[in-house]
Amino acid sequence: MSDLEQAGHLPGIPADAVGRRIVAHEAWGETVAVALPSLSEEQAKALCGHVRIRARDTLRRMETARIVAAIDRASACLLDRSHPLRRKAEALLPVVTGYDRETVRLGLTSTLKTFRRPQLLRFLAEDFFNPGVLDGFQPAVKGGFVRAQGPALLLHVWAGNVPALALWSLVAGLLVKSGTVGKLALAEPLTAGWFARAIAEADPELGECLAVTWWKGGAGAVEAVFLREADCVMAYGGNETLAALRAKVPVATRFLPHGHRIGFAMVAREALDSRRAGPLARLAAHDVVRYEQQGCYAPQMLFVERGGAVAPGEFARHLAHALAATASRHPRRRLEAGEAAAIAAWRSAYEMRALEGEGPSGGTELLGDLADPWSVVHLDAATPLSPSGLNRTVAVVAVDDLAEVSGLVAPHRAYLQSAGIAAAPARLFRLADDLAGIGVTRISALGRMTAPEAGWHHDGRFSLLDLVTVTEIEHSAEAAAEGFAPYAD
Amino acid sequence: MSQAEIVDALLAFIGRPGATDAEFEALALRLFAYQFAHNAPYRRFAQQRGRTPLTVRRWRDVPAVPIKAFKDLTLSCCPPEAAERVFMTSGTTGSGRGRSYHPTLAVYDASMLAGFRARVMRERERIRMGILFPDEAALPNSSLAHYLALAREQCGTPDSAVLVGSAGLDLDALLRALGEAEASGEPYALLGATYAFVPVMDALAERGRRFGLPAGSLIFDTGGFKGQSREIDPDTFYDGLSHAFGVPRDACLNMYGMTELSTQFYDDGNAVCPPVKSGPHWIRSRVVDPLTGADLPEGETGVLVHHDLAHFNSVSAILTEDAGVIAPGGFRLLGRVEGSASRGCSVAVAEFLAAAQA
Repeated sequence: MSDLEQAGHLPGIPADAVGRRIVAHEAWGETVAVALPSLSEEQAKALCGHVRIRARDTLRRMETARIVAAIDRASACLLDRSHPLRRKAEALLPVVTGYDRETVRLGLTSTLKTFRRPQLLRFLAEDFFNPGVLDGFQPAVKGGFVRAQGPALLLHVWAGNVPALALWSLVAGLLVKSGTVGKLALAEPLTAGWFARAIAEADPELGECLAVTWWKGGAGAVEAVFLREADCVMAYGGNETLAALRAKVPVATRFLPHGHRIGFAMVAREALDSRRAGPLARLAAHDVVRYEQQGCYAPQMLFVERGGAVAPGEFARHLAHALAATASRHPRRRLEAGEAAAIAAWRSAYEMRALEGEGPSGGTELLGDLADPWSVVHLDAATPLSPSGLNRTVAVVAVDDLAEVSGLVAPHRAYLQSAGIAAAPARLFRLADDLAGIGVTRISALGRMTAPEAGWHHDGRFSLLDLVTVTEIEHSAEAAAEGFAPYAD
Repeated sequence: MSQAEIVDALLAFIGRPGATDAEFEALALRLFAYQFAHNAPYRRFAQQRGRTPLTVRRWRDVPAVPIKAFKDLTLSCCPPEAAERVFMTSGTTGSGRGRSYHPTLAVYDASMLAGFRARVMRERERIRMGILFPDEAALPNSSLAHYLALAREQCGTPDSAVLVGSAGLDLDALLRALGEAEASGEPYALLGATYAFVPVMDALAERGRRFGLPAGSLIFDTGGFKGQSREIDPDTFYDGLSHAFGVPRDACLNMYGMTELSTQFYDDGNAVCPPVKSGPHWIRSRVVDPLTGADLPEGETGVLVHHDLAHFNSVSAILTEDAGVIAPGGFRLLGRVEGSASRGCSVAVAEFLAAAQA
C-alpha cells in the first residue's frame, strides 16, 4: 500500500505540469499516501476557463437523459464489487477516513445506489414538475414557455470525512448542466475524483465539463481565482469556515452554504414494549455507529418517553448493550488526541453532574467504562438538546411526553436537520408538525438516519431547484411572434 | 489524621529536600485517605472509579479530578465557611469560577516561597520588583495576587511596587522604575500576568523606548494571554521582552500555576520554547490519555495530571486541560487541549458553545 494515490480530476491541464501535495493517512495498520493537486493561479484560471467553455459548448446541449446515463454508469462501476475502482475504494477509504471496512463498504453501496437511473429520475422529478425544462423551453402553466439552467460554472467546496458525501452536490450540479469545479475535503479526498473519472470514462465529453481539485483553504491567491471565476459557490463546513468563505465570495456570486448540523431521535412509549425495545435500540445504535456521528444527520441525543413497558433507563441499557455488541463488528477508529479529549470532557461533565446530586446518581447515570469504545448517559430529567462527545457517545433523555421535545430542541433551530422518530402514525404526524415548526427538515425511521433517501432535500432546500435560474418566454412574446411568422395572414 | 497533623507533616516534608519516592508515595496515600474521608464529592468520584484508600497502593493510582470539577463541586475537606481564604479562577473561560478552599495559608505560603526562592530568587536574598498585576486588596480571591504579594513582601526590596492600580497600568511609574533600575546598575525583576506585558511592549514601541536592565535582572510572566490581550506566539513574545528590557531570553522566566494547586512550576528561562518545566519535590506530574486516565509512554503527548501534596484541603490529584509531554527533568507544556471539531459535518461542542455565547 505504498503507491501514491492521485486525487482529483483535471481536464485540460497536463498532468505532469501540476504541483502535488502529498498527505499520508494512517489507520488499521496501513498507510495511504494521497497526492492532492496544487494548482498555480494560472492553472486555476485555465481550469475554470476550460470547464466553463466545454460546459457551454457541450454540456448545455446534452439531453438530461444522457447525463443521467453517464452518472448511472459511473455509479454502476463503483457499485460493482469486482470493478477495480470499487476494489480500490474498499481498500483505501478505510485507511484514509479511519472508518472500519464494513462501514465503508456498506456506506458506499448505500450512497451510490441512490445515483442509479431510477433514483436520478426521481431526484429530477422531486424538484421539477416537468424535468424537460432542463432540456428546452416547456409550456408554462401561467402561459408562455420556461426553461431552467444551472450556473455556467458551479464551484463546490466540500468538507468532512463521510465517504462519498461530495457526490450529492456533484450530481446535483451535473443534472442542471453546470460546468463543475469541486474542491476536495482533506479528510476524504478520493471519492469525488474517482467518480469524476468514472464519469469521464462513461462519457468523455461530459468528463471535460467537470474538474475536481484542491487548494489550501484560506490560501489567498489560488482560492481567490476559483471564487472569482465561479457563478455560484456551494460550500460545506463549520460556521467559521463558511463565514470566512462568504466574506471572500464576490457580491454578485450566489453562495449556498451548508453548515454543520445536530441530529436527534425520539422514541415513543408505544414503541417501548419488551418485544420492540431491543431491536429499536439496535437501530439507534446503528445510527450512532455509522460514520461515528460525524455526519450532520447522526443522532447525538435520544429523547425517550416514560410510560412504556420499557422505561427510559432500561432503554439506555439496551442501547449500551447494542453499542457494545456492534463494537466487535464495527470497531471504532483510532481517535486523535482532540477527539479523545472531547469525549473525556463530555463524560466528565456528566460525571460531575452525577456527583453534584445528593443521591447516588443525581438522576444522571453514566453507562460504559472509560475504556469502552462507546458511552451512554441516561438523564432522568428533561434536558435541552446539546451535542455529544461524538464518536459513539450519546445521551438518553427521559421525558414524560414526546411533545416536550420540540421545546427542548427549539433553541438550536439554526443547527437542526434530521430527527429519527419511532412512534405510532398519528403521533408521528403530530410530532412532525411541531418539529417542522422549529426547523427540523428531515424525519426518518430509526436505523435510517445516516442514509437519506434518493432525492432528499438537504437542509430542507431544493437541491436542483436552488441551483437553477429560469428564462421565461412570456405569452406576449409568443403571441407577438405569431404576427411575424411567414404564414401570418 | 487531623488537619493539624496533615499541615505539620506537609510543612516538614516541604522543608526536607531530597525526600525519596517512597516518602512522596507514603504522604500521597495518607492525603488520599484524608481527602477521601473528608471531601464527600471527591469520595463519590473515587468510589465511582473503584478507587478507595483500601485499593490504591501507588500515588499514580490516586484518582485525578478533572479541573472543571472545581467549578461545579465544592471540593473541600473543611467546611467551606471555615476557610481562611478562598481562591477563585478568573472565570474567563466558560461559565462559573473554580474555587479552592484554604483553611490556612501556612502550607500554600511555605510551598510558594520555597519554590519561588529556589527557582526565581536562586542565590539572591531580595530584588527590586515591579509587579504588573493588581494587588490583594483589589483581587482578594486571586491566588496570583496573593502569590505576588508574598513574593514582594518576602523577597522584594522596600522600593518594590505594584504598577497596576484601579485605573490600570501606571505606565509613568513603570518607566520611572525601569529608568532608575537602568541607572542604578542594580538587578530588577518585572513580574506579572503574561497578557499585561503586551500593552507595555506596545507602549514602549510606540514611544521608541527600550531599556537595558542591569545584568541579573529578570522578567517573570505567568498565565498566558487568556483573551485579555492579543495572542502572541512564544518566540515572538520572548524576543519582544528581551528587546524591550534588555534581558536575555534565558532570564525570562515563566511560572505555570493554577488556582486549583498550591504549588507552582517554573522553567529556567525561555531561550528555547517550549522549555522544560518542573516543580519542587512535593509535586509530581503525569501525562495521561484523557479518555482512560492511563499513563502514556514517555515521549507521547497527552494531558497533564498534577499531584500536589500541598493542595491538601481540596484534592491533590487534578486532571488539567493542558497538553504536555514528559521530558528529562520535567515536562514540556504544549498549550491547552482543544476538543476537536467533528471531521464530518456534525456540530461539535466547541462550535455549539461559540454560537450559544455569541
